[in-house]
Amino acid sequence: MSKLEAYYGLPSKVKFCKKCVISNQRPSSTIEFKSEIGEKKQVISFNDQGICSACAFQYEKEKNINWNHREDKLLKLLDRFRSNDGSYDVIVPGSGGKDSAFTSHVLKYKYGMNPLTVTWAPHLYTDIGWENMQEWIHTGGLDNIIYTPNGILHREMTKNAFHNLLHPFQPFIVGQRIIGPAMAKKFGVKLVMYGENQAEYGNAIEENTNPLMNMDFFSSDDHLDMKFGGIKMKKYLETGKYKKEDFLPYIAPSKKTLIDFGTEVHYLGYYLKWDPQECYYYAVENTGFAANPIRTEGTYSKYSSIDDKIDPFHYYTTLIKFGIGRCTYDASQEVRNGKITREEAVYLVNKYDTEFPEIYFKDFLNYITTTEEDFWKTIDRHRSPHLWFKDAKDWKLRNRIT
Amino acid sequence: MKIVIVDYGIGNVRSIYNAFSYQGLNPILSNDSEVILNADGLVLPGVGAFSHAMKNLIKYNLINIIKNYAKTGKPLLGICLGMQLLLEESEEFGYTKGIGLIKGKVVKLPFNKSNQVKLPSIGWCGIKSNVVKWEKTILNEINLNSEMYFVHSFVSNVTDQNEILSVTDYYDFTFCSTLKKGNIYGCQFHPEKSSIVGLKIIKNFIDICK
Amino acid sequence: MKRKSRIIARLDIKNDFVIKGIHLEGLRKVGNPNELALKYYNDGIDEIILMDAVAAYYDRNSLSEIVKRTCHNVFVPITVGGGIRKIEDIQIALNSGADKVAINTQAVNEPNFIRRSSEVFGSQCIIGSIDAKKKSNKNWEVFIDNGREPTGKDVLEWARELEFLGAGEIMITSIDQEGTKKGFDIELNKALSEILTIPIISCGGAGHVNHISELILNTNIDAVAIASILHYKLDEIPKLKETLNDHEVINVRL
Repeated sequence: MSKLEAYYGLPSKVKFCKKCVISNQRPSSTIEFKSEIGEKKQVISFNDQGICSACAFQYEKEKNINWNHREDKLLKLLDRFRSNDGSYDVIVPGSGGKDSAFTSHVLKYKYGMNPLTVTWAPHLYTDIGWENMQEWIHTGGLDNIIYTPNGILHREMTKNAFHNLLHPFQPFIVGQRIIGPAMAKKFGVKLVMYGENQAEYGNAIEENTNPLMNMDFFSSDDHLDMKFGGIKMKKYLETGKYKKEDFLPYIAPSKKTLIDFGTEVHYLGYYLKWDPQECYYYAVENTGFAANPIRTEGTYSKYSSIDDKIDPFHYYTTLIKFGIGRCTYDASQEVRNGKITREEAVYLVNKYDTEFPEIYFKDFLNYITTTEEDFWKTIDRHRSPHLWFKDAKDWKLRNRIT
Repeated sequence: MKIVIVDYGIGNVRSIYNAFSYQGLNPILSNDSEVILNADGLVLPGVGAFSHAMKNLIKYNLINIIKNYAKTGKPLLGICLGMQLLLEESEEFGYTKGIGLIKGKVVKLPFNKSNQVKLPSIGWCGIKSNVVKWEKTILNEINLNSEMYFVHSFVSNVTDQNEILSVTDYYDFTFCSTLKKGNIYGCQFHPEKSSIVGLKIIKNFIDICK
Repeated sequence: MKRKSRIIARLDIKNDFVIKGIHLEGLRKVGNPNELALKYYNDGIDEIILMDAVAAYYDRNSLSEIVKRTCHNVFVPITVGGGIRKIEDIQIALNSGADKVAINTQAVNEPNFIRRSSEVFGSQCIIGSIDAKKKSNKNWEVFIDNGREPTGKDVLEWARELEFLGAGEIMITSIDQEGTKKGFDIELNKALSEILTIPIISCGGAGHVNHISELILNTNIDAVAIASILHYKLDEIPKLKETLNDHEVINVRL
């Protein structure tokens, strides 16, 4: 049998974790502004027993971490930065979703810090997303700055990212990673606190023994070489449509600047035992958070990632590229945190993972000025043969989880 | 000692079974004539429509068996619809004939929209005494006005006052909630669903069967 | 004499745990089903509702073991809901010891199922269950699949239809209020109690005994289903009932 080509340098044989339902095709976090067209992806690792690193890390979380000890570390950290003159002392990036709601509220009301929340605006706020954001401020009682980048450039980059990388969120993520440290510098605040560490979901475990986010994610020394939608900034400038100033929201501070200033970017998830579902409960009870009124497309849940109309297409493209849809992400997380069993997760993934996000499809096409026909052309171009095959009617995944 | 629950495809028998079991006696579910006639106590359960229940009793040939059992004078307990079936007839869906061990007719609870009253009548209501004393009956040692669980739209209009052991109010309408004729008993409420008080009534019935 | 208001404990169950969500979302474990059911029974609850919280997800219903165990030593009426889709499902529930079943999604998908069920088992056995989400003033939409899928149906119209089809009671859950412990959707319950002639069980929002008295005083509902207030031990049944009974016009079984 001839070997099927695997795009993106993904492992040619698809395997599913024995504990959760993630597959070995899941990419790790990358430095987004270096994303190349067709580059080889780093993926989540599986150990000899067939268990993914996220589950292995969960085991660590449950058994081997002394959370009292970690909280002590948090208290010491916060003591170092807490202001005594009423100024902001910690920047909490977020959009008002359950994670940032929890992080900011707990820092302010439990730990006595003075956070400024900063929001890198979603491409297109959903109604529920906007309501939750407002509730965060008015009911949760938090200061907030929302920073929205120039829509013309943002849309063009997103369009390029969709067609070149099948990763429409790439430009968004660049800005999202930067805004914390960038705003911190502007306000003279040294501490930035995110919620959960991506290692929870399968980055190298070593990354999670460190509370600090790797500076490479949000610093850059070579601006013109930063890539947006697979295209270098240089090339955007060459078209004459844009000036360097237009890229301000996406230009990461240099490492030197950050180090000199004393910026530290931490994960609250390193210090407190993280449970996304518990963040949901906390957010409802403290910051007026409401779940999505209807089931989120592509999954069974109502509380995760519901503020951006483009969001469903981020997950749909991961389905196309890696065979992993939104439900797989949600279900894997809930298996690890003991909310559902693996058997239930398998059932849910088979039921919802490949669901097409119909509701905001027109909004998305409009946003990236792409016709429906071209949308599908791009989608189909990115289907790796080792993951997909076409039968008489439809494209189908070769490997469904069991 | 054998207590038999009549098995005719109607009624939540498991709850009744559990209640008797809780009081130390595992009843038998049966529609066999010999088993029934040889029982020390017989329970006739029932929920739902009168006519449907009668059809099933006829289907299993149980009407005469129950009548013959009653003739022996051994204790019989009809619960909810099971109590109503003991009467002569019901006005549900026109007119349906009952087993006829007790004189009287099954009638619908008066529905009055202005009272904002709703049917079926569901909930806990007190049982009050009537003419006959409760001692040595299934209501032995039960406090007056004890609250029992009712769920019904129809009630038994028992002709003979002396056969009405307890009454219950439904707004300004009073109806028979427990009947007694010799060793034949009927509860409009569900003793197996009426918490501790109900369990006591079950115990009393077991004691009477001894 | 005012009819008594029934106080009902609602237990949402997933596998072997009682769980409690907010807005019908979230699976936080709060206890053991049989332990909690027995406790509430001993404390004097009037009825118990056992809901399979995830039947919609898994296209199954699997409470019969839990129901059997519960019914073994709990002698108040028990309602089972979640994933009741066929006549056999009702039979299994009743055979396990339940007295009533609550039917939600299947009724919307096949309204005649309510008629058939009430004909076979009797209306007193069939509760039409509705999950309601507020759309605008005096306007609520029916949701199915454990509050996940909108149907476009109006709650008041649908409740009336359920009554017409033969349901013996209506259980109404406010998705907006449930799990929030901020009180009931009074408007919703009021509107329903004005148009139905079958008993109404209100569910969703109780966090304090005052919420319950407010509901009873301002609407004509017949029973109140509570969950968070019990599972999170915000109040105890005997105390709660006494407080309610102290009200001049509220009457509960003590």
